[in-house]
Amino acid sequence: MCHAQVSLARNNRSLAILARLLAAALACWSFGTSAQDFIEQPQTFAQEDPGHFEVRAANVQLDGGVYYLNARIEYRLSSEARDALQSGVPLRLRLDVQLITNRRFWFDAEDAELRQLYELEYHALSERYIVENLNSGDQASFGSLFAALDSLGRVEHLPVIDAALLDHGREYDIRLRAALDVEKLPGPLRLLAFWRHDYSLASDWFKWRLQGD
Amino acid sequence: MAIARRLKRGLVALCAVLGILLWFVALLLFTRVTENTDDFARLQNWILAINSIGIGVLLVLIVVSLAQLIRDYRRQVPGSRLRARMVTLLVMVAVTPLVGVYIFSVEFINRGIDNWFSVDIERGLNDALDLSQTALDTEKRGKLVELQRIAGQLGTAQGDDLVRVLSGLQTESGALQITVYGRGNQILATTSDESESDVPRYPSDELLLQLKHGPYVSIDPRPGDQYQILAAVPLSVPTPRGDLEFVQAIFPLERRLSSLADAVQLTYKEFNERRFMRTGLKYGFTLALSLVLLISLLASVYGAFYFARRLVVPIQQLMQGTRAVARGDFATRVPTPARDEIGFLVSSFNDMTQRLSKASEEARLSQQQVERERSKLEVILARLSTGVVSFEPDMRIRTANPAAGAILGVDLETHVGESLVDMAHTRPLLAQFLIVCQSHLQRSESEWREQIVLRGEGGRRVLMCACTELPGGDGTPSGYVIVFDDITTLLQAQRDAAWGEVARRLAHEIKNPLTPIQLSAERLRRKYLKTDSNDDLLDRATHTIIQQVEAMKQMVNAFSEYARTPSMELTRFDVNALISEVSELYAHQEKPLSIKLALAANLPLIEADAGRLRQVLHNLLRNALEAMEHQPEAYVEISTRRMQIAESDSVEIKVLDNGPGFVADIVHQAFDPYVTSKPKGTGLGLAIVKKLIEEHGGQINARNREQGGAEISILIPISVDAGHSMGRRHDHRRERA
Repeated sequence: MCHAQVSLARNNRSLAILARLLAAALACWSFGTSAQDFIEQPQTFAQEDPGHFEVRAANVQLDGGVYYLNARIEYRLSSEARDALQSGVPLRLRLDVQLITNRRFWFDAEDAELRQLYELEYHALSERYIVENLNSGDQASFGSLFAALDSLGRVEHLPVIDAALLDHGREYDIRLRAALDVEKLPGPLRLLAFWRHDYSLASDWFKWRLQGD
Repeated sequence: MAIARRLKRGLVALCAVLGILLWFVALLLFTRVTENTDDFARLQNWILAINSIGIGVLLVLIVVSLAQLIRDYRRQVPGSRLRARMVTLLVMVAVTPLVGVYIFSVEFINRGIDNWFSVDIERGLNDALDLSQTALDTEKRGKLVELQRIAGQLGTAQGDDLVRVLSGLQTESGALQITVYGRGNQILATTSDESESDVPRYPSDELLLQLKHGPYVSIDPRPGDQYQILAAVPLSVPTPRGDLEFVQAIFPLERRLSSLADAVQLTYKEFNERRFMRTGLKYGFTLALSLVLLISLLASVYGAFYFARRLVVPIQQLMQGTRAVARGDFATRVPTPARDEIGFLVSSFNDMTQRLSKASEEARLSQQQVERERSKLEVILARLSTGVVSFEPDMRIRTANPAAGAILGVDLETHVGESLVDMAHTRPLLAQFLIVCQSHLQRSESEWREQIVLRGEGGRRVLMCACTELPGGDGTPSGYVIVFDDITTLLQAQRDAAWGEVARRLAHEIKNPLTPIQLSAERLRRKYLKTDSNDDLLDRATHTIIQQVEAMKQMVNAFSEYARTPSMELTRFDVNALISEVSELYAHQEKPLSIKLALAANLPLIEADAGRLRQVLHNLLRNALEAMEHQPEAYVEISTRRMQIAESDSVEIKVLDNGPGFVADIVHQAFDPYVTSKPKGTGLGLAIVKKLIEEHGGQINARNREQGGAEISILIPISVDAGHSMGRRHDHRRERA
């Protein structure tokens, strides 16, 4: 099941790379022929905040036979993404937690994967930022983007995996990553996000070791 | 072959149709870029990939076609110029409007999208939002006042009392939940509406921070287009650590207001969202248009190549066909394309080549016919015993048959193209022949006939010549044909036949009265000589009569002998024995003859009439004897030997003497009757010899020896059959000669 997902994901990725290459060529051409504002925009974007996602700290703790995740993540949206948010575009943030087994001569195996999805939206009427946990349906509103991102970046007591599912004494790697989910953007933005890096916000994998108990 | 081609064509068509369908579907999906669908999210990569692959395939096809065209153009392949021109034309015709439409559309879309987000609508929406916010602010302020009132009424109530007071106040104020927090955010009392959960909401950091400075109120959007007003009022002055007691209440927003506000919010959000996304939208549309344009462009360019090729192929084939026809290959057929003008042209061309090939075939057949006729004629001419020579007006030989060469003693066939005059210098027969011919030609007779007598080493030759002029183009003769026959033997045969007839007549007419004359003379002698013995005259006269009659009888007998043709009595015998026997007779005569025999030892027996051969020998020996009557040392030699002439065995008998020989003039007529140089003799001796030898199918020749004397050689075949075949061949050769 997991392998299938991996290969599918990999397939998708290579396909995306291929499509991106071809589309980039196409874009060069279409940029050349179409309106001038396409040429100007990337220059202005280049001077702005490119945004930054980073996992600052993360650990798991065993509590009543279940591993819980605690993490601190820094979310800094790019100017373009912030503009989109302010214009009412909901942004979807993704938190990937993966439990992997190291393999010496082959790709690492994904033993378990947890995906946590959040939606961040600006509510113009109340001038508040709403954060919704799509997994649980919980919703909270914040008076500032900073407060909303801070709340998002504080992951506490998130159940990851039942300890019983792990092999006793075996060493696992657990890794965590936060990313902006481009695929859930509205069509036109997704098209832009295709080859603009303003929307490709993702942290590096934060990886640490876990001894199966 | 045809099936494979059809299959291939079908496959290509299927691929093209599938490709076009796929591309169309991809583009249709692409137009949904403006709609926020998950389908598109999944398909976006695929759509781009399909289009990119399509573009790639078309590009490869175009590059290949272009390379092919350039290569053909450089090599000057027939039709490549036309193809290049057509491709250029078609590409220009297809590309120009496409590019125009594209530029216009892109401009139109960009301007159109910008126009959607007009300033008026934006301002209106902003105003609506402002209005809603103002309304909500009023509501918020009202609820805060309400909460402050509640806080005032709480007073100093504690424990269960506080809960009771709180519950009463909640019901009264219509709040969903009221919670009183002590120091350290400790919940002192809480009361909630049935619709709200029992668990009090934990105060947010924002709220706690705000409370330090005063009351807090905010609108909290909840799921399901509901709004709540969250308000908090401090109950005490905060401690230096920041702890304080406060009351927090959640009020519902009036349903109508809530839905109105939500509608405004939603509209504003969507408008803003779209406005923000217009770059992306423009981009999406432009991309879609560009894809359509690019693929249409490439497809039409490739189409230009394809259709130019399709159009030019029949023309190319036609050109190749024309070249083939020009080279003389009339079997060329150009495959007929569609039923259009080019198809008509091609079928006309095919008709033409078909007719040409038929015509050339007929020409070839008639040439073959002529050739056959000619070779037939050549065979006939070669087999003809008549000589046929055709020559140019300047006497150069054009054609000659073997018989002509044989008659004239020159191998004319190998000298075709040479002048007869030049050839005649070393050839006396030809020279004599030419003198006659030229005399006629100089008189410019177009047709003449003459009997020519040629004298050469082989003797007299009589030719019957006929010449006719070959008609030329402009009245002058283009050449002459001379036909001539060697009629020497014919004349000889006629002469022989005439002599035979004379002899038969003489024998018949003269012999009959001779006997009565002789008897009468003898009777006169018997009767009157006894009685009148002195009559000397009578005695002499009758004696003379009887003697002359006897001589006459002998002569008549000789004639009848010559004319007689009794049947042959063939036996096998030894020629040598016969020769010895006959020569023995002559050795013991009154005038002895020295006969020398040189007989070959290994002579086979011959099949012949022994009596006739004996007579031949007698005649020859007597002839020699008579010729050498006054010769002191008469000498005759007879030799035999075996001869192998042209597959047939023969025996040659040679009789030679040392007499005076034949008179030079008559040596060629030696075997004719009454050709003689001797004082005695009937003149029939050699004629009879010749006749007898020819009856055996043999040959006889006479010549004068160089050291003096005559030589007669006889060739007799060993068997009559062989002799006849030899004779026939000989006759045949004679005919040809």
